[in-house]
Amino acid sequence: MNLIDSYVTEVGKYLPRRNRSDIEAEIRSTLEDMLEERAQGQGPASEAQVVALLKEYGEPRKVAASYGAIQYLIGPRLFPFFEMVTKIVLAALALGLTVSFGIGTMRSGMTSLEMARALGNLFLQYLSGAIAAFGNIVLVFAILERVLPAKEQESMKDEWNPADLAKAPNPDAIKPAERIVSILFTVAGLVILNGFPQIIGLYFFTDEKWTYIPILSQAFFRYLPWINTLSALQIGLDLWLLQQGTWKAAARIAAIVLKACVIAMLIAMLTGPTILRLTSASVAGTPLAEVFDQFGPLLNYMVTPVLLIAILGTLVEIGQTGWKLVQPKPSLPLEVKK
Amino acid sequence: MENDELVQNMLLELRRGVIAIAVLSQLGKEEYGYSLLKALSDLGMEVDQSTLYPLLRRLESQGLLQSDWRIVDEARPRRYYVISPQGRKVLAQLKKEWSAMTKAMQAMLS
Repeated sequence: MNLIDSYVTEVGKYLPRRNRSDIEAEIRSTLEDMLEERAQGQGPASEAQVVALLKEYGEPRKVAASYGAIQYLIGPRLFPFFEMVTKIVLAALALGLTVSFGIGTMRSGMTSLEMARALGNLFLQYLSGAIAAFGNIVLVFAILERVLPAKEQESMKDEWNPADLAKAPNPDAIKPAERIVSILFTVAGLVILNGFPQIIGLYFFTDEKWTYIPILSQAFFRYLPWINTLSALQIGLDLWLLQQGTWKAAARIAAIVLKACVIAMLIAMLTGPTILRLTSASVAGTPLAEVFDQFGPLLNYMVTPVLLIAILGTLVEIGQTGWKLVQPKPSLPLEVKK
Repeated sequence: MENDELVQNMLLELRRGVIAIAVLSQLGKEEYGYSLLKALSDLGMEVDQSTLYPLLRRLESQGLLQSDWRIVDEARPRRYYVISPQGRKVLAQLKKEWSAMTKAMQAMLS
């Protein structure tokens, strides 16, 4: 393989597969033309001439880069949302871990060395949690970047009317940030419930290490197929809304049906066997063991009001969505002549 | 030093659009990449090959140029470019804009 072949192959490594062979052929043809002109019919070009030519043509990666469109993992239209969601999730993670650290260390009477170790542990936990959360957020946004149509670019082509500024906000407009946050939290919930359900529990710092008691009962996992199905439907609805950019009647009806299914599932949880499992045996060896007789049953009973609040909240959401479905469209407050 | 970089960046922006018009104007007859590069250079417009070839592809993908691989006069295969009917229309509009713009700029800068 001569130097030109090696150079062209090297450039080809960084070219998009679709046009690679065509661009390679054109670069080769150009290099040979340039070389021929420099040799001026005095036989084959010397290696020094080839080296000088390739140096002049440019570093292979730079040459390849000049052919490519800018490739984004997360493009400029989604980056502000990505930044916002990342900040919220990392702050929530820090808050959650700090609160659980506070509860875990409050009553254990630790020495300062133990406290320092616990703090180190907390930092490592935050670091690994933050990296995992960041990876998941990037993954979700990278998928969104590829599935969402470039609405903003399309709308930029339209004629812009300053009168639009005077219009009342469109009640049917989708707020992308809300949908994206909804997708992220649904995905996170699915990953935890299906992959790591044991981490949903109470955390304690004892004997210089963190321990936790899983609190979900076997009965809870009977509902997992329902939770998975409803979550998948919710993600589908969110993606559909992001694609449409506006609430339509069909989407509102779908949202109401979905929420009604959620209520049905919550009622089943409320009336069926308890979804939390906290027994004196499961808390043995933790600071909770000493006070389990007083507080244990209370913790188990907490599930009922929590489920009732969830049902009530979902009913309110159904009411709001239903009202938006039937209420008349507001008229424009101001018409500006073009 | 600081100004040099500023000027270079502004020149880069200025040339970006101008080169596209120059290329369209020179492809009334078929040219392959290197012959076009020399033709532009002979007319006083030096264009780097790493700018020209991607530009030719972009203009072709926009429907302003047509191209095909051919062997002419027993030479090596070369990709020949020529302006398309749509490219001619676009060039006519750009010429008009260019004249108005240069006139205005001359008035401003003289």
